[in-house]
Amino acid sequence: MSETKTVEVNLKRRRMLVAATGVMGATAATFLATPFVASWQPSERARALGAPVDVDISKLAPGQLVTVNWRGKPVWVLHRTEEMLATLPKVEPHLRDPESNESVQPDYCKNRHRSIKPEIFVAVGVCTHLGCSPLFKPEPHDAELGSDWPGGFFCPCHGSRFDLAGRVFKSVPAPINLEIPPHHYRIDTLIRVGEDPKEGGQA
Amino acid sequence: MAKGFVAILAGLLISLNVWAGEHGQPLEKANNDLRDKASLQRGAVLFSNYCQACHSIKYMRYNRIARDLGWTDDEVVQKIAHGLNKPTDAVLARGDLKAISKVLGTTPPDLSLMARRKGPDYIYSFLLGYFEKDPNKGVWDNHYLPGTAMPNVLEDKYRFADEKVRQQTARDLANFLEYVGEPIKLYRQSLGWKVLLFLFVFFIIAYLLKKEYWRDVK
Amino acid sequence: MAEHNSHTSEFEKPGTLLQWLDKRLPLVETWNEHVGQYYAPKNFNFWYYFGSLALLVLVNQFVTGIWLTMSYKPSAAEAFNSIEYIMRDVEWGWLIRYMHSTGASAFFIVVYLHMFRGIMYGSYKQPRELVWIIGMLIFLVLMGEAFMGYLLPWGQMSYWGAQVIISLFGAIPVVGPDLATWIRGDYVISDATLNRFFALHVIALPLVLLILVFLHIVALHRVGSNNPDGVDIKKVKGPDGTPLDGIPFHPYYSVKDTVGAVAFAFLFAVIVFYFPEGGGFFLESPNFEPANPLKTPPHIAPVWYFTPFYAILRAIPDKFFGVVAMGAAIGVLFLLPWLDRCPVRSIRYRGTSFKLLLTMFTVSFLALGYLGTQPATPTLTKLAQLFTAGYFLFFILLPFTSKHEQCKPVPTRVTYHG
Repeated sequence: MSETKTVEVNLKRRRMLVAATGVMGATAATFLATPFVASWQPSERARALGAPVDVDISKLAPGQLVTVNWRGKPVWVLHRTEEMLATLPKVEPHLRDPESNESVQPDYCKNRHRSIKPEIFVAVGVCTHLGCSPLFKPEPHDAELGSDWPGGFFCPCHGSRFDLAGRVFKSVPAPINLEIPPHHYRIDTLIRVGEDPKEGGQA
Repeated sequence: MAKGFVAILAGLLISLNVWAGEHGQPLEKANNDLRDKASLQRGAVLFSNYCQACHSIKYMRYNRIARDLGWTDDEVVQKIAHGLNKPTDAVLARGDLKAISKVLGTTPPDLSLMARRKGPDYIYSFLLGYFEKDPNKGVWDNHYLPGTAMPNVLEDKYRFADEKVRQQTARDLANFLEYVGEPIKLYRQSLGWKVLLFLFVFFIIAYLLKKEYWRDVK
Repeated sequence: MAEHNSHTSEFEKPGTLLQWLDKRLPLVETWNEHVGQYYAPKNFNFWYYFGSLALLVLVNQFVTGIWLTMSYKPSAAEAFNSIEYIMRDVEWGWLIRYMHSTGASAFFIVVYLHMFRGIMYGSYKQPRELVWIIGMLIFLVLMGEAFMGYLLPWGQMSYWGAQVIISLFGAIPVVGPDLATWIRGDYVISDATLNRFFALHVIALPLVLLILVFLHIVALHRVGSNNPDGVDIKKVKGPDGTPLDGIPFHPYYSVKDTVGAVAFAFLFAVIVFYFPEGGGFFLESPNFEPANPLKTPPHIAPVWYFTPFYAILRAIPDKFFGVVAMGAAIGVLFLLPWLDRCPVRSIRYRGTSFKLLLTMFTVSFLALGYLGTQPATPTLTKLAQLFTAGYFLFFILLPFTSKHEQCKPVPTRVTYHG
C-alpha cells in the first residue's frame, strides 16, 4: 500500500515538473523566435531611405502637379484651381466611396477635398487596384475618356478612374480611393510628406 | 574525469589571457564609461569639430546618434552637423578626401570600427601621444604611431589647456568612438542578465525534472 | 497489435490523425527505435552531454545562418558593409550574427570534447568503428565549413587567413599552383573566391553535414551507445529482453540532456551578451578592418580551433612536408580504431601506458593550440616541434603498447551509484 502511495505522489510531482519545464521551454522558444521574426521588419537603412521628404510648393502654380519620391513610391502634390475644386461635389453620385469611409487617409484628410488645405492635394500616386501609377488627366471632356470626364486621374493598366481628390469612380476595378500619406506644413510653402503633424494640429 | 575537463578549460583560459597586444608601447588606460551620456555627447561634438573634417564614421547616421545619446533629431543636426545634414544622413567626412589624401599622402580611415579594431585605450593613448619633434617649426610625431600622417589636431589643447582638460578631451573622444564601434553594446549587456536569469530558473526546473525521473533508475 | 487481413481494410478503418499518418510513414516505429525504446547505458557521465550539444549547436548554426543570408551580400565590394548593416541596421541582426559567430567556436569546443570522450572510453573500437569514421568525416566537413565561413565577413583576417590556407595547396608537387588558382578562381583571393565559398558554406557543406550527422546517429543506434565503463550492456538482458543496465532514451536522457542544453545555453549567452569577441579569439580584431589585398596584418593567426594543426604546419621547416604533416595529423585520427589494439575500451580499466600516452597527446594538442596563436619565434618553434612529436608519438606508439597492455579486469555490469 505504502509503495503505491509514493508512486502516486511522484506522478503528481512529475506531471507538475513536466508542465513547468514545458512552460519554460515554450517561453524560451517564444523569446528566441522574437528576434528572428522582428529582423524581417524594415531595417534602419530602409527607414532612413523611407524618411519624410520635404516638398517646396512656393513655385507650384495652380493646376500644376509635382511628383516626389517617398519610400520609393510616387507622391503627387497638386495645386487645384477653383474650377477643379468645383467638380468635386458634382461627381459624388458617381463615386464608390465619396465620404472616404473605406479608404486610407489620415483623419485630418477625411473630408470632401481629402487634404489639409482645400487647394493643395497630396496623395500616393499608386492605383489601389494592382499598383500601377495613374495618369494625371485634369482636362474635362477628354477625347479618350469621354465627354462626361470631369477631370481626374486615369489608370492605364486596367482603366480605373479617380476624381481630382483621388476618389474612385463606380464600376472600375480599383476598390478604394487613392491613399493619402501622412503630411503636414512645416511652413506655409513647405510640406513634409511622411510625418503626421505634431499634436493634432495642421502645423 | 571532471578533472580532465577543468584542465582543458584552464588551458583555454590561459591561452585567452596571454593574447599579446600588437603595439610596442604600453597603452594608457582610457577609463571611459559608455553609460556616461554627457561624455558621449561631448565626444560627439568633439568628433564633429576635430575629426570629421577628414574622418567619416560612415556606418552611423545622425539620427541613430541622436537616439542613443539623448538628443532630438533637430538637436543632433544643430550640434554635430552644423545644420548641414538631414538626420537620416550617414556621418561622412566633411572635407574632400581626395584633396586631403593628396596633402597627407594617405586617405584618413573611416573610424566606425577603430575602437573595435584597436580598442578605446589605443585611441586615448594615440590622441595624447603626440610630441613636438621640432618646437620651432611645430612638427609633431606620435609615440604610438611613429611617422603618422595625421596632424596633431588637438594642438590647441596641448598648448593652451592643462593636462586634465586634454585627458578629458581624449577620453570623451575614445568613449564616443567606442560607442560608434558597437552602438548596441549597452543594450546587449542590459539584456544579457535578463536572459541569464531566465536560463538560470529554467535550469533549476529542468534539473528538478531530471532528478524526479532519475529516481526510477537504480 | 491487430493482425491485418488485407491492406485495404487496414487503410479504410477510421482512426486518429497519428494512425492515419503512421500507416503512411513509420512514425511510431522510428520514434521507438531511436528515442522511446532506444536503450542507452544508465551510467553516462558528464562527457556524454557533448553529442546532443553538438546537435543543438548545429541547429543554431542552421537557423542563424539562414537568417544571416537574408541580409548578407556575397561580393567583395559589399560583404564587409553588409556585415555592419546586419550589426547596426537590421533589427536584432547583432544578436543573430553573434549567435552564429559564437556558435562556430562553440561547435569546435563541443566537438573536441566529444572526440576526447570517444578516445577516453574507446568508443571508436569494434563494433563502433564506422560511427567514429563518420564522426571524423563530420569533423573534416566542419573544418571546411568554418574555414569558408570565416572568409565571408571579408575582413583583414578573413582575407589573409584564406590566402595562407589556400596557398598550402600550392605546396602539392606538380599540380599545386594550378590547384590553388583553381580553388580561388583568380590569381589572388577575390570576388570569385568569396562567391564560391559562400555557395559552399551556405548550401553544399551544410547539406553534406546534415547527411553525415544523420548517418552518424543511425550507425550509432545500430550498434548501441558505449559508456564510461566500456561494457557491452546488450550482453546482460532482463526477462523482457531489454538490457538490465540500459534505460530508454526518452524520458531519462531527454530530461537529462535538457538540463545539459540549458546549462550550455547559459554559458553560450554569457559569451554572446558579454564577450562576443571571445577575448579576440572568436572574433579577431583585425577582422574589423575591411580586406586589403595590399596590406598584410602584422600577425596572422587562424581562428583558435585551427591553431593546433596550424602549429604543426609551422613546426616543419619545409613547405611540402609541413602540409603533409598537417594533413597527417588529421588523417591519422581516422585510423585510431585499428591503431589501438587493446580489447579493453574504457580508460578506467586500461593500463598505465595508455593513460600516459593519452596525457602526452592531450598536453601536446593543447600546447600546439596555444603555440598556433603566437608569432613563430625560434624558441616557440622548437617547442612546437617538441609537441608535434608528442602528438604523433601517441599514434606511433599506441599499436605497440596497446598490444601488450596490462589491463584491469572489466566488470560485466556498468558501475552506477544512483
